[in-house]
Amino acid sequence: MIVGGCDIGSTTGKAVVIKDGEVVASHILKSTTSPGKTARLAMDAAIEQAELSSIDDLEKIIGTGYGRLKVPFAEENISEISCHAKGAHWMEPSIRTVVDIGGQDCKVISVSGKGTVSEFVMNDRCAAGTGKFFEAMARALDCGLEGISALDNQGPEPCPISNQCSVFAESEVVTLVNEGYDLKNIISGINASVASRLSSMVRRVGLIKELALTGGCSKNEGLVKSLSSKLDVGVITLPIDPQLAGAIGAALFAAEKLGK
Amino acid sequence: METKIKSGAFQKFAEACGSLMNSEIQAWLDQGGKVAGFFCSTVPEEILMAAGYLPFRMRGTGSTDTELADAYFSPINCSYPRHVMNQALKGEFKFLDALICVNACDHVRRIYDNWIRYAKGINGTTFETVMSLPRKWGDRQVDWYYDEINLLRENLAKHTGVEITDDKIKEAIKLNNQLRSLQKELYELRKKDNPPITGAEALVAVVAGTAMPKDRYIELLRQLIDDLKDAEGNDGYKARIMLVGGELDDPEYINIIEEQGGLVVTDSNCFGSRLFWVNVDEAESDPVRALAKYYVQDRPTCPRTYGSQPERMEFTRTLAREFNVDGIIGERLLYCDNWLVEHYMTKFDLKEHGGNMPFLALDREYILSGKGQIKTRVQAFLETMEL
Repeated sequence: MIVGGCDIGSTTGKAVVIKDGEVVASHILKSTTSPGKTARLAMDAAIEQAELSSIDDLEKIIGTGYGRLKVPFAEENISEISCHAKGAHWMEPSIRTVVDIGGQDCKVISVSGKGTVSEFVMNDRCAAGTGKFFEAMARALDCGLEGISALDNQGPEPCPISNQCSVFAESEVVTLVNEGYDLKNIISGINASVASRLSSMVRRVGLIKELALTGGCSKNEGLVKSLSSKLDVGVITLPIDPQLAGAIGAALFAAEKLGK
Repeated sequence: METKIKSGAFQKFAEACGSLMNSEIQAWLDQGGKVAGFFCSTVPEEILMAAGYLPFRMRGTGSTDTELADAYFSPINCSYPRHVMNQALKGEFKFLDALICVNACDHVRRIYDNWIRYAKGINGTTFETVMSLPRKWGDRQVDWYYDEINLLRENLAKHTGVEITDDKIKEAIKLNNQLRSLQKELYELRKKDNPPITGAEALVAVVAGTAMPKDRYIELLRQLIDDLKDAEGNDGYKARIMLVGGELDDPEYINIIEEQGGLVVTDSNCFGSRLFWVNVDEAESDPVRALAKYYVQDRPTCPRTYGSQPERMEFTRTLAREFNVDGIIGERLLYCDNWLVEHYMTKFDLKEHGGNMPFLALDREYILSGKGQIKTRVQAFLETMEL
């Protein structure tokens, strides 16, 4: 059985091909202004990587992500919340809580033993605690996203950053820079501010171990470290790129629906 | 909004719900009638009716931004009063003669202050007042509101020159009880497996009841119920949803939920069941006493009132059971602290003593924005029940 999953997010597009229960190809690219085009580009690249001749070789494709309705070749769509839960749980069946941090939103999902969603919360409708926030901070500090993420850059005394609004937080960071605070403490402060917001969301749903992070920002090692320490719980490292969790979940749903 | 309902009465309701001014209000004004605007569901309309007014519940329908109002409100104020105020500053309430405000919540209370200073002149109201609704739930609070209602009665009598007799108030109570019973009858139709009316359509019908003469509304509502009795039902939905929340007068919000497959079959909303599930006691000899008891105590309250959460929760549970509900959506206007905490409590109570009924807290702005995010949340919520 060969199926596809396509996750069109606000910032990146992801496609995976799963053959007989194994991820055989995947592709991540920056979202274009057209969700349909992003989907096509991502899936074409995955198909090429899987050495398939065309998209028709896939028996079923499911779309997910904020652009899920615009994936031209998907027969069905499922919300990214269900897909992230499914994908993360499939990669590591002990997972019961998923924190998905994408480009423009973050969500905490409580996952059942079967990989379905028991409960979820999402952030308010703004960029606080998402990839866009980190992009703004990296710009203010001129350090790139790698600079925010690097474990070597996590200063021991995180500067308090009280503002969750990315626009105001940027001014706050600029003030800290001008006042001569250590750059590394500013960076750990930025990660701590997002981790603190995420930890409130996790507490709202109720933390059940094990916990994994998915979405693009799960690659921010500084954030993972800070969240892990705030919740006093280890964060499971998923065996496959966690940014693909949504697309993998979508492909798994496709396989499940075919099997029925 | 598209509708399957073939009923002239429903078209009238859609007109009334879709705008501030409507042809029924115009007809009332043409006959020399006066209109009194009021906020929230706790102002005793019956007193306004007894004083000869057509009561109109304040909404911001038709507003597209809050540019004018934000000179006096801040972006972290609730968007409902901001949009209402914006409409007021544009002069959209020139059909009002009086305005009755209430300290329902602090955001809404501030309308009064801003109205007096900035909107009164633009709209030409000649009587404005603010009622003091007790914060707590209890017998003493009924006494407090009894005095407040009598004060309103005196002041309105002075202003209008109309003698507001007990008999006139009793007559208004009787008419409104009739109206409430009919609205309940409309809701009863939604208990069916294939309800002949969607949640969005039911909201249209309820909102219209706050924007036209009561006797005319009763006549139209009777007609709608008759038209619906043999109408084709709604089927093919994924789940039966109950809405719980505050000020919601926009059917489009419910429409988004229903487009995702969640048919809204009942609610505990203040443009909804909380308005009409209970009637005012007609046997009480002092009609003002009956009104005070009704608005403070008898009716399911708003979470701005302390001490009544268990009763509200019981009301939600009862309706969820009676309407065979699969999941509850707690709707809230952003920045409403009362409903924020209420929804946490509801979610907890449903887990502990509600058979673990699925619950989703779903924020919104008064003017529907961020439809995509609402869709994602609702779709995921429905998936938790079906996947």
